[in-house]
Amino acid sequence: MATFLATYDFLLVSMVLAAVLALTLYLPLMAGQLSVASPGFYALGGYIAAILSTKVFHPGPGLYPIQLVLVEMVAAAVVSGILGLVVGLPALRLRGIFLALATIAFVQILGVVALNLQVTGGAIGIFGIPQPFSNQLSYMWVALPLLLLSMLFVARLERSRTGRALVALREDELAAAAMGVSPTYYKVLAFTTSAVLAGMVGAVSAHFINTWNSRQGTFDTSVNLMAFVLVGGSRTFVGPVVGGLVLTALPEALRGIADVGGLPGWLAQFLRDGRLIIFGVLIALGTVFFPQGLITPGLLRHLGRRRRVPHS
Amino acid sequence: MLNGLAIGSVYAIFALGYTLIFSVLRIINFTHGAIFTLGAYAAYALTGSPLGINGLLAGLTLPFRLPFVLALVGGSIVAAVCGVIVERLAFRPLRARGADPLLSLVSSLGVAVALVNITQYLFGAEPYSYPDPLASLPSAVNFGTAGQPVLVRTVQVVIFAVSMVMLALLTYLMNATRTGKALRAVAEDTTTSSLLGIDTDRLILLTFIISGFLGGVTGTLIGLSVGIAGPYFGIAFGLKGLAVIVLGGLGDIPGAVVGGLIIGLAEAFVPAQHIAYREAVPFALLFIVLLVRPQGLLGRAQVQKV
Repeated sequence: MATFLATYDFLLVSMVLAAVLALTLYLPLMAGQLSVASPGFYALGGYIAAILSTKVFHPGPGLYPIQLVLVEMVAAAVVSGILGLVVGLPALRLRGIFLALATIAFVQILGVVALNLQVTGGAIGIFGIPQPFSNQLSYMWVALPLLLLSMLFVARLERSRTGRALVALREDELAAAAMGVSPTYYKVLAFTTSAVLAGMVGAVSAHFINTWNSRQGTFDTSVNLMAFVLVGGSRTFVGPVVGGLVLTALPEALRGIADVGGLPGWLAQFLRDGRLIIFGVLIALGTVFFPQGLITPGLLRHLGRRRRVPHS
Repeated sequence: MLNGLAIGSVYAIFALGYTLIFSVLRIINFTHGAIFTLGAYAAYALTGSPLGINGLLAGLTLPFRLPFVLALVGGSIVAAVCGVIVERLAFRPLRARGADPLLSLVSSLGVAVALVNITQYLFGAEPYSYPDPLASLPSAVNFGTAGQPVLVRTVQVVIFAVSMVMLALLTYLMNATRTGKALRAVAEDTTTSSLLGIDTDRLILLTFIISGFLGGVTGTLIGLSVGIAGPYFGIAFGLKGLAVIVLGGLGDIPGAVVGGLIIGLAEAFVPAQHIAYREAVPFALLFIVLLVRPQGLLGRAQVQKV
């Protein structure tokens, strides 16, 4: 067990962080909005953490104090939230395809800006970000609570009045508006919450990966997140979490299979490098055959029922 | 400025294929970028050139060599065929279910990513360039006078000419032929058109064939102009193409060309000290257009039916 954890420490923490990022795509989706802006806020959060830790807080030698990481997360959350409001208020008047396009444009613009500003280190980015922990696995102390808290938050949200408002908007925006559910308020709420969460994940990831540059949080990331949500499940918060965990682990598992040996060369190569091919195919198959993803509310109810039967 | 027009006409041809599908089906076909890449690579292979060292097909050379123009056509036919396959697999099942266009967009995105990565897997990620095909023509055309030459690369003139010809052909097709009328009917309302005896499936197939062929032509021409930088250049174009078609008006064919030229000019006019931000210009324009005038310059405002 100890060797397993030691070998896969990077992967395990990445899985958890990916699951949280998947939730950031899920939040606007609850309101029926496809927003791929999360990678932009993720990148922003990472840059804030990177800049603060390397240039503003001057750390001494040794481990970086964990309280400062939390401060950075708060800073990232605040800035992402403000930017989310600024971008979201005008953008969320758009519907459907147009919002998706606007968020794609937003991520691209942020990427170019990050590539060119001096403070973000240009093309090289920022490296040598101080570590608060001495080994990779200890990041779980930050990542896992973040995941659990966000899952708790979204679960409560789903059952709350706000959650029902979001679902009403997803089902039929005009009818919901006619019933007194303010579309702009709830859509911006979902969007901003998602931005805040993505910013926090970015801040943690910057320390976790140790360097940060404009290649973090790009359109590619949006594709990954869409795969997590579409395959995992788009109607319940468990779906994106499972999708994020499983699909992040999948390339490693495939690489393991490829390394076992005895496979023809092209197949082994495919299993090693074909991550994006598989994700792309999964997205396409998912939309055609499993539009609600694998983990659906029906499945959860079914599992819940089976567990309760012996007690009746 | 001529540079801007040259870049712009590149975007314009790309956008023509994009907007054609939107005009008939009301969906954004992300795979256009991937098919464009495939067409470029197919044309490359058909010129008999050796494939690179990184992909699965490393070192493979087709046993024949075609002159460039034939390779262009051949590559575009391959692209068109791929377009048809994509339509069958990714779009038709969703259309049969009457799915939201957003779902088709996501599905096409998945297919595009898969296709581009398959291309990378097969051909490798390094840059390719075509063997010089226009050797018979002068390498540049002089638009100015002998005293003040304004030189434009021949290939850019060719691209501009091709885009204008394509625009003319497509406009003629849509407005003056019977098939064009049928296509516009399908665009208006698919169900009613089929009730009126129009074979919608066949027409949609035709749309994908034309769009795929255009994509292949664009890819090869652009590959000729700037070299193929790698399979991902299709995705980059695909994203910028979105800006072009939204600016011109989704589904509007002349709009695609206008949008392309405008974005090309806008990129060319970025002042030198901000040259690094040139890549952001199309997306900034896209964002602004979406907020201010989502129907684009030439489109009609979409009235939402209750």
